[in-house]
Amino acid sequence: MSFQDLSFREKSAWAMGALVLAITIFYLIDVQPISWRTGEAPPVDRHFIKITIATIVGSILIQGLLAARNPKEADAPADERERLALARAGSLSGFILGFGSIAALMNYLVHPNGDLLFHGILLSLLVSTIAESALQIFFFRRGG
Amino acid sequence: MGKRPPITNRVKLHRMLAGGITQAELGEAVGVTRHTIIAIEQGAYSPSLETAFRIARHFGVGIEDVFGWEG
Repeated sequence: MSFQDLSFREKSAWAMGALVLAITIFYLIDVQPISWRTGEAPPVDRHFIKITIATIVGSILIQGLLAARNPKEADAPADERERLALARAGSLSGFILGFGSIAALMNYLVHPNGDLLFHGILLSLLVSTIAESALQIFFFRRGG
Repeated sequence: MGKRPPITNRVKLHRMLAGGITQAELGEAVGVTRHTIIAIEQGAYSPSLETAFRIARHFGVGIEDVFGWEG
């Protein structure tokens, strides 16, 4: 099955998953050397702005490109099977976000560093978003 | 792949009997995507009761002529 044969929402899940994975790798490469050098969590402002801009611009470009190539499918609402797959993926990825956020908060009790807490929650958000895309693809492939 | 639901169907047969309408045409007629019709025909997805009725009505037959239960 080629990429063109996939449904609009599965294409979107692949593309958004790849985008957020790339942003997460970029973020880790950007943040880790500072952390190793200073032994502290790096300040959040610069990294957060970069990631936010990259996510917004990347999402607009990807969704715009997919919608331009599949205008009819892009306009159509999700059908019952797609809604079920999206809801299941959203529910499970929510657990990942919750687990990561609670882990970051627990860590804050031991190491009271606001920057570290921010990075922990941001990383949880990125990982849960990647997981959501992967789970959407899994449920679309499985049938619902 | 997960366990298949115990719902059987003869959607593909009825498509052929209805003059070979495509999965996309059937999907459009009953309000689901082509990929959902594919998943129903493969037995990977059990449609809602409403969609099952829509499919049966589209073919002009009763719901039990199209869908069965293996339970």
